[in-house]
Amino acid sequence: MAIGFKDALKFVGISVIAVCAVFVCTLFLNYNLDLRGLENIPNDAIPLYHAQISMGKAIAAISGCGLALTSVVLLVFYLKNYIDVHGKELGVLKAMGYSRFSVAARFCVFGLSVLSGALIGFGAAYLYMPTFYRVQNADGFLPEIAVHFHLELLLYSVVLPTLAFAGLAVFYAFWKLKTPVLNLLRESRETAFRTHREKEEPFLKGLRNATLKSKKLLVFLIAFSAFCFSSMVQMSLSMLDLASETFAWMILMIGLILAFMTLLMSLSSVVKGNAKTIAMMRIFGYESRVCSDRILGAYRPFSYAGFAVGTVYQFALLKIMLGVFFADMDVPAYTFDWKALLIALFAFAISYEFILFLYAQRIKKLSLKSVMEE
Amino acid sequence: MILAKEIRKFYGSGENRQEVLKGVDLTVSDGEFVVILGASGSGKSTLLNILSGLERADSGSVFYDGTDISRLSDSELTKFRKAQVGFIFQQYYLLPHLTVEKNVRMGADLAGNKNYAEVIEAVGLAGKGKKYPSELSGGEQQRVAIARALAKKPKVLFCDEPTGALDESTGRQILDYLSKLQKRGGITVMMVTHNQNLAEMADTVVKLNSGRILEVQKNDRQKSAFEIGW
Repeated sequence: MAIGFKDALKFVGISVIAVCAVFVCTLFLNYNLDLRGLENIPNDAIPLYHAQISMGKAIAAISGCGLALTSVVLLVFYLKNYIDVHGKELGVLKAMGYSRFSVAARFCVFGLSVLSGALIGFGAAYLYMPTFYRVQNADGFLPEIAVHFHLELLLYSVVLPTLAFAGLAVFYAFWKLKTPVLNLLRESRETAFRTHREKEEPFLKGLRNATLKSKKLLVFLIAFSAFCFSSMVQMSLSMLDLASETFAWMILMIGLILAFMTLLMSLSSVVKGNAKTIAMMRIFGYESRVCSDRILGAYRPFSYAGFAVGTVYQFALLKIMLGVFFADMDVPAYTFDWKALLIALFAFAISYEFILFLYAQRIKKLSLKSVMEE
Repeated sequence: MILAKEIRKFYGSGENRQEVLKGVDLTVSDGEFVVILGASGSGKSTLLNILSGLERADSGSVFYDGTDISRLSDSELTKFRKAQVGFIFQQYYLLPHLTVEKNVRMGADLAGNKNYAEVIEAVGLAGKGKKYPSELSGGEQQRVAIARALAKKPKVLFCDEPTGALDESTGRQILDYLSKLQKRGGITVMMVTHNQNLAEMADTVVKLNSGRILEVQKNDRQKSAFEIGW
């Protein structure tokens, strides 16, 4: 059969995101459940108690939903690529008489990427929990809270997401396998898109535009990775003044992991998806610098736009969170943090351009012969 | 003039190491139509790749008008390909998301050739410049590949089984077009094929077997694409 356990291992990006999502959700939801069990809360600590519960819910919801949505987008993206690359094998299976459902059912193996990530995230959350609780208890405003294990969180954070992602993979594959057998068997199923009016433009400019139009999801993912970097780094730097260092570090780590995973995966797909174009350009005599510039450089404006949107988003989110959850409390007034913006922008530009440089080296080392023989 | 001396190429390693080219010597004059003939696995495509600078030989040299391209760095080889050679492949390798016109401009822009529309017209694709490769037949796609190669004004055109994926009628048309180009434009054409009939169109036929040249045959009279068998 075409799909096996090894294929699921390639979806490591989704596993990493699942680790982050389950880690944050388990940590805050477990804390919230333990917080709700508190008795004899002093009257002056009640606003803080409600704020803690609301903030726990908000953090779990925002990071959980955000990371889950990212995972869904990545899963669909990978599945589409997988079906495109393995179209011939899937076509042969269909031609031999395997039913569409029996082939699609094998895609449930991709749920394993979520299961492995979720289990690691769940375990890591419980390992980190004593430290987290100690930091929370250190304030001394609320009675001391002890760590309790809540079995229902295993269901919500591990079992249900795994089943949901496995089901989504099967459903998506079932839908995609509607494609007639001959189309699956064909070497290239890439279809052209026709714009209203084809412009007279030089080859390199046309290539840049076509690269962007042919893989719109990649544009989104690259912009999204910049968005994550920008919002999470700036938010964590701002939180050093507003909340605990633990929160700041957690947000920073999640933001960096999410941003780099998405960016690395997207750029890998860009290079893989354009390998034949790059090989043909180099065969004809285009320098590898020109190839990298046109293929990888095409995404640069979108990544910086993603960064700008992330800046606005984190500012609005922090304003709203402080306004809603900590309205009754004595927290410093939040104004836009220009220092955080400059640090984040500098770090982003250095990391982004360095990653592009690494991928440009990869383009330079592409073996023309092996690419053409694929 | 192209001069290949003692070309050797190995693939694999250890017990699987295999000598694909076993000391090939070859001389090709400017404007010649050379057909490299051989069965599958004879090393003909590898020889073509090495002669065109797509692949490096493990030993031996390839000279273009006295310049040894086997000693060039990767970036020098890229410049060499840009200035000297064009390619036509059996699988066309057109860029699927670009129109015919833009595919042809891929070659034309490299040579600063503004008359790419004329090349499109010359291969019989006038009016199809705005079409995408997926909207064309196999023969038409191969013509785009030819136009793309010609638009960069190469001195040598390397063709790897250019009619391998085409039906007889379209194949003959493509070969006829290549033959006319070679005669009118003075371009050196080097074509790899396993079809013995195509050898009758060439000035020179190089027969390759198991990595060695068996015979180099000169044709007194070149047949046209419509005279040869198929």
